[in-house]
Amino acid sequence: MGDKTIVNPAIHVRWIAWIGIAALSSTTLSVAAHHSFAGEFDSTKKAQLVGTISQVEWINPHTYIHIDVKDEHGAVATWRLESLPTAMMRKAGLTKDLLMGDGSPVTADVILARDGTQNLAWVIKLAYADGHYYQLSAPQN
Amino acid sequence: MHRKTSPLSLTETRGTCGALCVLLAASALSICGVAGAADGIPRMPDGHPDLSGTWDNGSGIDFVQPKRVGDSVCVRGCEPQARSASSAAPAAASPPPNRPKYRPEFAAKVADLSARQVQTDPVLRCFSPGVPRIGPPDKIVQRSNEVVFLYDDVSGNFFRIVPTDGRPHRKDVDDTSLGDAVAHWEGDTLVVESTSFNDETWLTDDGAFHTKDLRVVERIKRTKDALEWTATAYDPKVLVEPWTTTKRTAHLTDEEIVEAAPCLERDIDHIVDGSHHTNPR
Repeated sequence: MGDKTIVNPAIHVRWIAWIGIAALSSTTLSVAAHHSFAGEFDSTKKAQLVGTISQVEWINPHTYIHIDVKDEHGAVATWRLESLPTAMMRKAGLTKDLLMGDGSPVTADVILARDGTQNLAWVIKLAYADGHYYQLSAPQN
Repeated sequence: MHRKTSPLSLTETRGTCGALCVLLAASALSICGVAGAADGIPRMPDGHPDLSGTWDNGSGIDFVQPKRVGDSVCVRGCEPQARSASSAAPAAASPPPNRPKYRPEFAAKVADLSARQVQTDPVLRCFSPGVPRIGPPDKIVQRSNEVVFLYDDVSGNFFRIVPTDGRPHRKDVDDTSLGDAVAHWEGDTLVVESTSFNDETWLTDDGAFHTKDLRVVERIKRTKDALEWTATAYDPKVLVEPWTTTKRTAHLTDEEIVEAAPCLERDIDHIVDGSHHTNPR
């Protein structure tokens, strides 16, 4: 799988669509319910990135996965992909090392930031070169 | 830390202890024998339930049910999106959220804090959740004269050392987010009273502030492999009535807690409309 450019990189548009999301849990305490996803990311603006993971920030309230993506001119841009809290990752058996992978290209399905911040997105799924994947979020989330 | 000292001499103490130990041991065996057989609850030598253990309280992520296929993992959104006819039926109405009731003169303040929750909620900025918002302990270490509560929270690791030997609240501590706690037993229920709070935490989300006069009473009861926890917040300056949390049940687990990952808030500057959802912790 070779590197390819971003699909639908329309990140300079200011969107005002309200995206309602179901509360993660209305009756239990919620580690995950940090802030509203809809306030930060626009689920109508999805993209697919291909690159290599250069860093996993194992932090709360959200982990960040950095992925280096080459454009058609060979320039590398580092995307910050926000994801789940560490407790959720641990519950799923995922670790920092597992997310890092082996350095092979990774395909990331992402949702772009509402405020137009360059190279900031929410990650839905990471698919690794050997075929295994980690789906971290519902596609419509 | 001030400890009570015995007025007995060393020799007297040894002799008295020897006799007491025999009596206590016999008493404890009797208690353990009866209670252990009846309810399966591990007990300390003094007969009180032993709350020691690591307790999985769900941490608010009970809804996460990962699915694993080979080396792949689906954490969220694993179910098919299409809804069947039967599942398309309207869901039953949820009960209203359990929130503190404020005096009328504070309604505007609560509403304002709630409206600006993204900017004002302490836990959204990685501060301590305070008590009772922190919930039941993730791990308890119990000794004869104290219990130690350990927390593995999204905001960090926290601890509380709770005397159970009748000591009064400390006078030499500053007001803090978790306050100063002492506890006593009411039957098999550990009753933890905390005071000396600062006013920098919330009772729950939606602007549920409190004052430094907050007093919280937690009630913790062990069944065989579970821990039942509730807390009642008393803050009559601002609350119409004491507010009791929804009961939470934690389950004994052999999965040990770990050092919490650093909590570094990076989202707030990117939230364009201040929207937030339920975040009671």
